[in-house]
Amino acid sequence: MREILLAFIGSICPGVIYNVEKRNLIWVGFCGMLGWITYSTFNELAESVVLASFLGAVVVGIYSESVARLLKAPATVFSVPGIIPLVPGIGAYNTIQHIAENQLYEAASKGIETMSCAGAIAFGILLTSAVFRLPKKLKKRRPNPA
Amino acid sequence: MKTNQVIEVALKAGETLLTGGAEIYRVEDTVIRICESYNVDAECFVLPTGIFITVIDNEGNPVSFVRRIRKRTVNLEKVEKINSFSRSLQNNPVSYQEAMTGLNSIIGLEGYSYALKLLVAGITPFAYAMLFRGTLAEACASFVIGIVIYFIKEEITRTGIFEFFENFISGMAAGILSVLAIKLFPFMDLYRIIIASIIIMLPGLAITSAIKDALYGDIVSSMFRLTEAVFIAAAVGVGVAIALSVGLRWI
Repeated sequence: MREILLAFIGSICPGVIYNVEKRNLIWVGFCGMLGWITYSTFNELAESVVLASFLGAVVVGIYSESVARLLKAPATVFSVPGIIPLVPGIGAYNTIQHIAENQLYEAASKGIETMSCAGAIAFGILLTSAVFRLPKKLKKRRPNPA
Repeated sequence: MKTNQVIEVALKAGETLLTGGAEIYRVEDTVIRICESYNVDAECFVLPTGIFITVIDNEGNPVSFVRRIRKRTVNLEKVEKINSFSRSLQNNPVSYQEAMTGLNSIIGLEGYSYALKLLVAGITPFAYAMLFRGTLAEACASFVIGIVIYFIKEEITRTGIFEFFENFISGMAAGILSVLAIKLFPFMDLYRIIIASIIIMLPGLAITSAIKDALYGDIVSSMFRLTEAVFIAAAVGVGVAIALSVGLRWI
């Protein structure tokens, strides 16, 4: 419960730094919160950071695309602050630390993990926005079925 | 409205969107939508560093404008406002004066005050230090460091030296301050303080925009933003790494 609240604060605050409008801030908070809940649940269940990041990003993507349609705001407003709790900060830090301590083998291993997490987040967002764009594309095609 | 005035309105809207951190397709859509609202047939090409627009005016002559974008910040409020502004133009094409007043009032939006942003720049690391299961003392240290590095970053951005210089210096400041903090209070954990305090500098927007750009087929811009994200992350990382290697070995 405490972590959920912290994830909520942890995405509202970057929202303020990115100048998200006041009436949208609370929705930004829920976005980060849902992403974090998914991420931490699957991180414990599946014990895979990459999978958990991916699923977290998918949830953030679905949430922000649907809320964007409801509130008539760009989806970026919600997804950018929303993915911040998922960012692989610990992995990135460990990579840097290993490089600083000249343990290049560990650095490579941690670095690949970090990049996979970042890639998984990116792919999660990509997948959801692609799916949400499908109906629009299909609707456009219907008038002239060539 | 004259063709030139339409382009002026469209370019201004596009520029505000691009400097506010909007995706490329949104900028292109908005520019074309504004032109279409006034029955001007326009072709528009947008890169993260510039807007190119060409229209045919009433006499059949091609008119072309290029607007170079040098400064890119993040301001999602302006993106949202311009987005709804351009949609309202579509239904109700107002006069040049009204459109310009509307645009200028959006551009003039101050957003949140600097003091609030400073405070928030402290609360974010505080929340993340707690989220990474840190102690209250670590969270407080991150709070202070977060405020200091946001201040440094803003000051450097204002003087505008190099593109990624502010990220490098803020990363280094985060490293130095965190090492200092654990030297003063040895019971704290170094890694939580550093991660928590650098988390707001990580290139979240650059990565999300890069993906969206790729999805809409703007591969050049996508590559641009990905590279930007890598550069930002590398600048922060190198800054932290220098501070750590010096700080942990010789102090």
